[in-house]
Amino acid sequence: MQKEVVDSMALKRALTRITYEIIEQNKGIRDVVLVGIKTRGVYIAERIAERLQQLEDAQIPVGELDITAFRDDQPLNAALAPTDYQLEFGVADKRVILIDDVLFTGRTIRAALDALMGGGRPQSISLAVLVDRGHRELPIRADFIGKNIPTARQERIKVSMAEIDGHDGIEIINDN
Amino acid sequence: MADRYLILEDGSAYLGEGFGSPAVSTGEIVFNTSMTGYQEIITNQIYHNQIIAFTQPTIGSYGINHDSYESILPTVKGVVVRDVASISTNRQRRWSLDQYLKQQNIPGISHIDTRHLAKKLRVSGPMKASIVDVADAHAFDQLGATVLTNQQVAAVATPKPFPNPGTGLNVVVIDFGLKHGILRELSKRACNVTVLPYTATTEEIINLDPDGVVLSTGPGKPQDLPDSVLEMIQNIQNRIPLFAIGLGHELFAMANGAQIMKLSPEHHGANHPIREVITNQIIYASQGQGYAVDPETIDRNKLITTFVDLIDGTIQGLRYRDFPAFSVQFFPDGAPGPTDALDIFDEFVESMQQARGPIW
Repeated sequence: MQKEVVDSMALKRALTRITYEIIEQNKGIRDVVLVGIKTRGVYIAERIAERLQQLEDAQIPVGELDITAFRDDQPLNAALAPTDYQLEFGVADKRVILIDDVLFTGRTIRAALDALMGGGRPQSISLAVLVDRGHRELPIRADFIGKNIPTARQERIKVSMAEIDGHDGIEIINDN
Repeated sequence: MADRYLILEDGSAYLGEGFGSPAVSTGEIVFNTSMTGYQEIITNQIYHNQIIAFTQPTIGSYGINHDSYESILPTVKGVVVRDVASISTNRQRRWSLDQYLKQQNIPGISHIDTRHLAKKLRVSGPMKASIVDVADAHAFDQLGATVLTNQQVAAVATPKPFPNPGTGLNVVVIDFGLKHGILRELSKRACNVTVLPYTATTEEIINLDPDGVVLSTGPGKPQDLPDSVLEMIQNIQNRIPLFAIGLGHELFAMANGAQIMKLSPEHHGANHPIREVITNQIIYASQGQGYAVDPETIDRNKLITTFVDLIDGTIQGLRYRDFPAFSVQFFPDGAPGPTDALDIFDEFVESMQQARGPIW
């Protein structure tokens, strides 16, 4: 059973609001860099960067992070050893906004923090997510939330972005 | 239909036919370019003490219906049209425009060359006008001698608090002469609303423990309101999510150091494209403004411009940089339409939810 809980209008509005909140909490966009977690986190980061460009007429760096090698559910295996630092820019003294589509257990974010570590000591790292669905297993929380969607554990959240899925929206999927 | 005259402060007289109330009345004449929505426009309190000239040639073709009031009692001084529809049909029609204006003691005048009138008013700006039976020297003398009040907000805003109960977020609406569309949109989003007079103090607002505060639309010039209003806004905006509309937007800008200028020609209608800066999207919305924020006086370290009018570049929306306080000059409630900007109410609700924190 699928149910759309956020339509394309609401998704765009959530990104707009997150953009304003990033300006509010960072007192502007000085030193701000955006880091999207693959796959959809990158598209979200790019859309937020476009909005910041419109408002502030400034190009904000956007990085892509692939956290596969940093996951804690992979067997310890040399082939999966964390690869080198992935971003094209360093994060030393930057205000990093880490961006993902769904915040669930918090394990992806923990892995992303590991993946960022090779880039220097940032001023701060904050977390922006399109959906917070609860059920955390680690002490991690988001600073910018598009939508809080209370879910049952066995439900799935599907975020669609026009860039890859052809349309924008968020659905709850219950396989039972 | 009796012959009547529309006379203007500049000495001109237009011969027309009376409808609505046979009263003689005087107000400031403005023209409105909306093609539909005459009932909402006539009942919008921003037009308190004004005479509205519609440029759409036929007005009244769908009567008056009970969904479209923007205030309980309209306080416009007259309605000027090219043609007034004598027959109107509407599934919930109660009255024709003519009957409604008779009930409300508002004179109307038809068969006026509203294109000529609009072209004149575009250049001159609004001026005093009367709807009279005889356009003689005496009538012009009376018109010239009439002094219109600048205390419009006090005349139309509620003198006492009143509730508009809901089961959701707690919202305080500060009434400067609000249009019902604001309450309607908050009701749709289940907000529990308390409307306070515009004289409400910071303490009175805080004591209601609101999740958000709305500064309503209203008539007149923002500088004519007491400074205590600006102090209230300064005290509230960094504590509680704030959403300001129309006159409220002008006051929000003033509270943050911007200056307000007279706008010429004024915007009264629904056909200006407006650009949302952050997404670069174009929307349409009803406008009713005689004043605008002077863009040169905006402190860019405090305020971000969020909406811009594409016809003349006027500021149509502002937002505080450091906290969720934002404003729009146009009417986002879509009453009358367009409804492109309705989701600004959703944005306000989400800002309140975000300020409250998650529900688990």
